[in-house]
Amino acid sequence: MISFLNPLLLFGILGAVIPIIVHLINKKKAISHRFAAIDFILQTNKRISVKFKLRQLILLILRASLLAFLAMALARPFVKNFIGGTPEKDVPASNVIIIDDSYSMQYSDNHESFFMSAKIAAKEIINNLTKNDDAAVITCSSLGSQVLPELDYDKKNLVNFIEQLQPSFATTHIAPALDVAIEVLTSAKASIKRIFLLTDLTRNGWDIDWFKSGNEKLSSHVSNIHIIDLSEGRELKNIAITHIEPQINVSERSAESTIKVTVSNFTPTRIKNLLAQVFLDQTKVAQGFFNIDANASETKEFYSSVEKGKGHTGWVEISEDSLNVDNKRYFAINTSNKLDALLIDGDPKTNIYESETFYLEKALNPGREHASSIKPTICSIHEVKNFDFANFDIVFLCNVETLPPEKIHELDKFVKEGGSVIFSLGNNVDANYYNNSFNTLLPHRLHTARTFSSDSPLSEEQPLHLKATEPIHPALRILSETNMSTLSSVKFYRVFYVDPAPLGNCKTILSFSDDTPALIERQVDRGRCVLFTSSIDRDWTDMPVKPFFLPLMQQLCRFLTGNIAEEIQGETLVRHDWQSPCPEDTNSLEITNPEGTKTVLQPQVINNEKSFLCNETNFPGIYTVTVDGKPHPQFPQKFPVNVETTESNLDKISQKELAALMGGANLTITTSPVSEGSEVLMGEAKKTLWGTLLFLTICILFVESFVSRK
Amino acid sequence: MPENPFDPVTLSKIASMELRARLVVDGVLSGIHKSPYKGSSIEFLEHKEYSPGNEIKHIDWKVHARTDKYYIKEFEEETNLKCYIFLDTSGSMEYKSTGVSKFEYASTLAASLAYLLLKQSDMVGLISFGDKVLQYIPPRSRITHLHVLLNTLSELKPAGKSNTSVILNEFIEKISRRSLIIIISDFFDDINKVIKQVKYFQFKKNEVILFHILDPYELTFPFETITYFESMEDDRRILADPKSIKDRYLSGMNRFLEQFKQACFENQIDYWLIDSSTPLDQALIQFLARRESTSRPLYKS
Repeated sequence: MISFLNPLLLFGILGAVIPIIVHLINKKKAISHRFAAIDFILQTNKRISVKFKLRQLILLILRASLLAFLAMALARPFVKNFIGGTPEKDVPASNVIIIDDSYSMQYSDNHESFFMSAKIAAKEIINNLTKNDDAAVITCSSLGSQVLPELDYDKKNLVNFIEQLQPSFATTHIAPALDVAIEVLTSAKASIKRIFLLTDLTRNGWDIDWFKSGNEKLSSHVSNIHIIDLSEGRELKNIAITHIEPQINVSERSAESTIKVTVSNFTPTRIKNLLAQVFLDQTKVAQGFFNIDANASETKEFYSSVEKGKGHTGWVEISEDSLNVDNKRYFAINTSNKLDALLIDGDPKTNIYESETFYLEKALNPGREHASSIKPTICSIHEVKNFDFANFDIVFLCNVETLPPEKIHELDKFVKEGGSVIFSLGNNVDANYYNNSFNTLLPHRLHTARTFSSDSPLSEEQPLHLKATEPIHPALRILSETNMSTLSSVKFYRVFYVDPAPLGNCKTILSFSDDTPALIERQVDRGRCVLFTSSIDRDWTDMPVKPFFLPLMQQLCRFLTGNIAEEIQGETLVRHDWQSPCPEDTNSLEITNPEGTKTVLQPQVINNEKSFLCNETNFPGIYTVTVDGKPHPQFPQKFPVNVETTESNLDKISQKELAALMGGANLTITTSPVSEGSEVLMGEAKKTLWGTLLFLTICILFVESFVSRK
Repeated sequence: MPENPFDPVTLSKIASMELRARLVVDGVLSGIHKSPYKGSSIEFLEHKEYSPGNEIKHIDWKVHARTDKYYIKEFEEETNLKCYIFLDTSGSMEYKSTGVSKFEYASTLAASLAYLLLKQSDMVGLISFGDKVLQYIPPRSRITHLHVLLNTLSELKPAGKSNTSVILNEFIEKISRRSLIIIISDFFDDINKVIKQVKYFQFKKNEVILFHILDPYELTFPFETITYFESMEDDRRILADPKSIKDRYLSGMNRFLEQFKQACFENQIDYWLIDSSTPLDQALIQFLARRESTSRPLYKS
């Protein structure tokens, strides 16, 4: 049955009489010409007059039908579909309206955004339901917050709910929404069960695996799925910042940040001179231009000096396009305070390469100057009395044989007041002396030293290796997967075994391959002590020449001094969890999102570790972390949350693919504009005919021009 | 740029037919040469000694009184050409696309020819006709006769149908032998009948010249828009799309002209097709030049 969306325009068919009138007027208006050689015209015209009249008639018919077809096309005819729709208004139907609220729905090319169109369409659908129909509303990306999963007969309530919907900054998840829709419709009593999916039909978010099993549920519980493509079948173009990587270079005098920015061009054309600007602490500090080939990405680096010793936040943004959500990406960098470390060398040598602290000092301060944020100071046992531990953040005892008693006492006090000490052992270490002198600081009592070397005649076994203990200690989190995998390549030829029973609140950071502790941490009042059960130079191990030695030592220092907060805060994605270990003295944490909303977090045990977990990362931007209203050294002051870039690629899923994906379901897909009327939205316009009519009109136009030229 | 005085449009601006004719003929001919033929005439040529057999009436007695010898007067003989100009005044001759109508062109041509012939003492008559004879002015050689001819020409108005063959038939008996017959028409007629009548004239040793005057639009048919074509001789009218019939029209017209030309050629009839946009002096020069080259000059040299 053919119906029309704009039946009033059918009056345009009357326009078909215009060519006839014009023809008659022209016939009347034909100029008269007295001509002498009329006999020749008469002779000729006799032969062709029939042809001439026929051509005139054909032209007349073509022109009249051209206008008639055009009027019919504009009246938008369609063939009604009653398969999933309601053939009679009395038959009740249950409807679930799924609104895609992912951030790609904020796409807007000079019109209202897809999300706004989706809301209008959803309200139109609700308004077209009969009093016997009920409906539920579900959103695609935020099942938790924006959902009305109960079938409701109250149209006003449903419309109000739709009015309040807001677009999210998350990605599309069609499958979970369909799961909920099926669940809702399974319990529905109506004989007709429909799902309306209002989306932009971008490829992202269609969980293909779900449809392998979900198809059966769809076809058995749902009468009809009607997908309304709010992009109206258009190809969508987008340019997005898909990655930023801030780096920080700290020297004695200054600190410089490098922001690596990757911009992706998801359009089929090359873009030129795309402006990218870097803002640091609300001030524009750098800008540049990108020239990116079609469907390609480009990375550029931006430089800016930053103030040392404090945290900085910023963002990178590119020029506006149709989808602006992914045109801005946030970052946070932390130029941590300088750490002063005292390295007491228990085995200094004339040849500095053989000194106990040579590798350690290089690890803590790799550059010629103090490029690192850690400033090491080396002293011998004899010189130690000249140094006040209170002037340092951390003290290393490297193969120290003895310390003056007053220094032992000072060290004890230093730790209890918040300082940190790291013991590394060696040939000069006497277990009894250590157990007696540093009883309050050592995590475990030292037992005996054992040698593991195939080359040594005293050797009993192969050299030991290192391994991380589960869960991964916060001090090791900075190590990359590559570094972690090289832990096993380290060889330990001699180590100290320790008593199994810890002397206090201890955690094993690293173990040897025979499961004996290698690196142990002990909390002592406000301070921390770490015991490394082998040497810190190459006398007992080759660890100092391994790649992970440098980051391990630096991170260990930061951890012990409460500067565990990483210099570069890795980005958290919208709706992803932000997690941080919970220090002993902290019971709650406040997170303030970019909108200014505060969330108080309580510690929870995750993987056997007390941690804070924040899942309220709904908005991109800079989140602030405070403890009792103040920054806490154990936590980053701020962390960035950015949108997931998978949603930035606006490649469309084709109707064929959808049909294949939902093989068994009764599927209709509409790419017509929302403004085309309720029949389209309700999926009743199964087959639109205006395209065919327009094509016919163009064909007629072509034939007409051909015939009239002849 | 000065106007060409022989351009048909320029000529048409000259009201006096005589002036028109004079302008054309004087411009074309630098002077009339006397006839080489000798015969009886009033103009004295030379004296010749009498010999038996000569007529006594030609003896110059005055010379005899002075010289006591018999001399006979010899006189220059002038040609006594009779020319009949047939001018078609049917309605179709009134057609003009741009410039002048075929009739204006034809009447100026007739006037020019009459002037040319009278100037050399030939006798010129005029017959204007449609489907019947409208005016008949018998041939005279007096120069005053020119005014009669030109006055008649300037008063003629084209109208009605044409029937050339019937008119010609009427004059077969009236026209004496060895006359020059000039027919000026568009010949939208049955040309076979016309040729047949012309052949009768030829049989009586008359020379016939046909001037076929056509308008450039009749030759090229340059119309574009749908037009009602109306007959100039009767009530016929037809709606036609010129673009669709142009090719067939032109081929019909060309076939007609070709047949006419071929019939004239075969019957040794002097045929001249003249486009009414052609400057008249140019048409006349061509005509006279070719007449002379074929040893049938129209004027005496």
